[in-house]
Amino acid sequence: MTKQLDRADLFARMLRMRRFEETVLHLAPEYPYIGRQHLYIGAEASGAAAASVLQSGDLSHTTHRNHGFVIARGADPGRAFAEILGRKDGLNGGHGGPWHLCDKAAGFQSTSAMVGGSVGLAIGAAFALQQQNKDAISVAHFGDGTLDEGITYEALNLAALFSLPILFLCENNSKAGQRPSSMLAAKKLRDVPEALSIPSVLADGADAEAMFAVITEAVGKIRQGEGPVFIEATLERWPGSHQTGFGFPTGITDVTMAWDEDKIAGDHPDWVRQYDPIRRYGRALVTEGHLSKDEILAIDNKINDEIAAARAFAEASPFPEAETASGGVFA
Amino acid sequence: MTRKTFAAALIDGLYGSLAADPNITIIGRGMLGHGAHDSEADRLQADFADRIIDPPTSEGAVTSMATGAAMAGLRPFFHFGTASFAYEAWNQIVNEAANIHYMSGGQFSAPVTFHMFHGVRGGGAPQHSHSPQAMYANCPGLEVVLPSSPRDVKGLIRTALKSDNPTLIINHTKLLGLEGDVPDGDFDIPLGEAEVKRPGGDVTIVATSRMVQVALIAADALAKDDKIEAEVVDPRCAVPLDKATICTSVAKTGRLVVADEGTLMCSIASEIAAMVAEEAFSDLKAPIKRVGRPASPVPFSPPLEDAVTPSAADIIDAVRGALA
Repeated sequence: MTKQLDRADLFARMLRMRRFEETVLHLAPEYPYIGRQHLYIGAEASGAAAASVLQSGDLSHTTHRNHGFVIARGADPGRAFAEILGRKDGLNGGHGGPWHLCDKAAGFQSTSAMVGGSVGLAIGAAFALQQQNKDAISVAHFGDGTLDEGITYEALNLAALFSLPILFLCENNSKAGQRPSSMLAAKKLRDVPEALSIPSVLADGADAEAMFAVITEAVGKIRQGEGPVFIEATLERWPGSHQTGFGFPTGITDVTMAWDEDKIAGDHPDWVRQYDPIRRYGRALVTEGHLSKDEILAIDNKINDEIAAARAFAEASPFPEAETASGGVFA
Repeated sequence: MTRKTFAAALIDGLYGSLAADPNITIIGRGMLGHGAHDSEADRLQADFADRIIDPPTSEGAVTSMATGAAMAGLRPFFHFGTASFAYEAWNQIVNEAANIHYMSGGQFSAPVTFHMFHGVRGGGAPQHSHSPQAMYANCPGLEVVLPSSPRDVKGLIRTALKSDNPTLIINHTKLLGLEGDVPDGDFDIPLGEAEVKRPGGDVTIVATSRMVQVALIAADALAKDDKIEAEVVDPRCAVPLDKATICTSVAKTGRLVVADEGTLMCSIASEIAAMVAEEAFSDLKAPIKRVGRPASPVPFSPPLEDAVTPSAADIIDAVRGALA
């Protein structure tokens, strides 16, 4: 059964991801052992759309820019914060930390911090689902830099050869002025999957409803047994994506910026104005009459309360006992 | 009890496992190499063709595929062929499969079996003669199984496929033609349970994989020529390691020789020697001796290859040294 577009739910998923990441930025200076954060700000439309289309039983795999997608698939944000803080109540009991969040109950199989690692594991999940004749699909969620790794090419080839039920969702944010995150001799990213006969689609990764439509169509084909699909979602990289400090380069999101440009904060107002998917979708929802300003504010209030409670839960959680450090190596 | 080759017993172990558990899937071809025994695998293809996948030459992605599938409910058995091919999948074995259970806080396990042939095979030259068991033993989260006989390979392969952990079965190429008695019917051998392959009271020889067979030849020669009764202990697994059986034997004999085909630096032999030195030093009457490969690649030319391959004569020399 294909899921219908639920605009309020899609917007709420995106905003929940944003508030989660902003809270990580608030926590980072207080708990410097978190280390460098890999935040999902600016990519919410893609991740939230995918999570909205996926169903119970579908299996997700991401890179280490993972927080948002874990939350979008329904992991408890309190337990996710607790894991990021290395606490006992963390999703992984403090053994994984921010780079390895996973939640079996939510169908979130793994976050590999090795570039390309999750793509290989994701074709494995697809292979298992195929061998077991299940209707579910697997998703590999990754950035354009992953295509620099040989294992990604190998995994694409295996998926095509065995017609595996898998969606390759590639967020291409390499257009920023910094060092490019991928260096392919191919003219476009999709040349790689297309060389292996994998159908490839280009989509605007900052347009939530466009992403929902593209992913819905791709997932429908995959569920019907047509084999893998590759989606290239183009994004403009968030200015804080590679920061090593604790700043808020685009400010703390004020949802009223959707209809009031003066509320855009931070040092990169142009990025927010042109590319921020939250502003873009919020503005579209209000302009097109799908949600009122009050409804958007109510969604925001609810999420802020939820995230504040989640943060409090995580900060109150104790560290794991030292005796658990070398436990759980074997099943 | 039936007399069988190691190759036939290996296939028996796989056949019975496939018949018992529909989640077991074999990924890989040429299960028994290209030699005299490859037709033994035909009966797997005849009866389980839909559960045998012939993958492209992509060790890294296929290892990931097997691991990800294990996390999602299958029990894949991935045959690499020559052990050095698995270096192409090093990250996927030691950094993905080995870590998953621990890293996920116990949410996931990866019940995948990796099968490969190790050792000096005759003409393997530097790139096809590796014995990587110590490297894997150094990575927490991997079980490392080193069968030495037809009976053991059948029982251990069955247990490996039932294990909820990533397990490596590292078989010596030259064992494939070895014949031995194998109990009829299905039986399992627990991982981490050593076996005394030959009792003796004068010296303990702990040997792994093919070196068990070499040690048994050495022990017979020592009994005949030197009136020395060697006890040959086969740990059967490097991880988990049965320390108790090894230490019990050392307590009886007071002398220890360890033989493993890996290069000596940080080898399985080194680990066992260190373990006994730490845990059973007071039982030792003489320094521990190790037998293994010197720190050079394995050369191609036959006399050069012989020169770096640990032999029965090397074990005999080590035993004489330990008793001197």
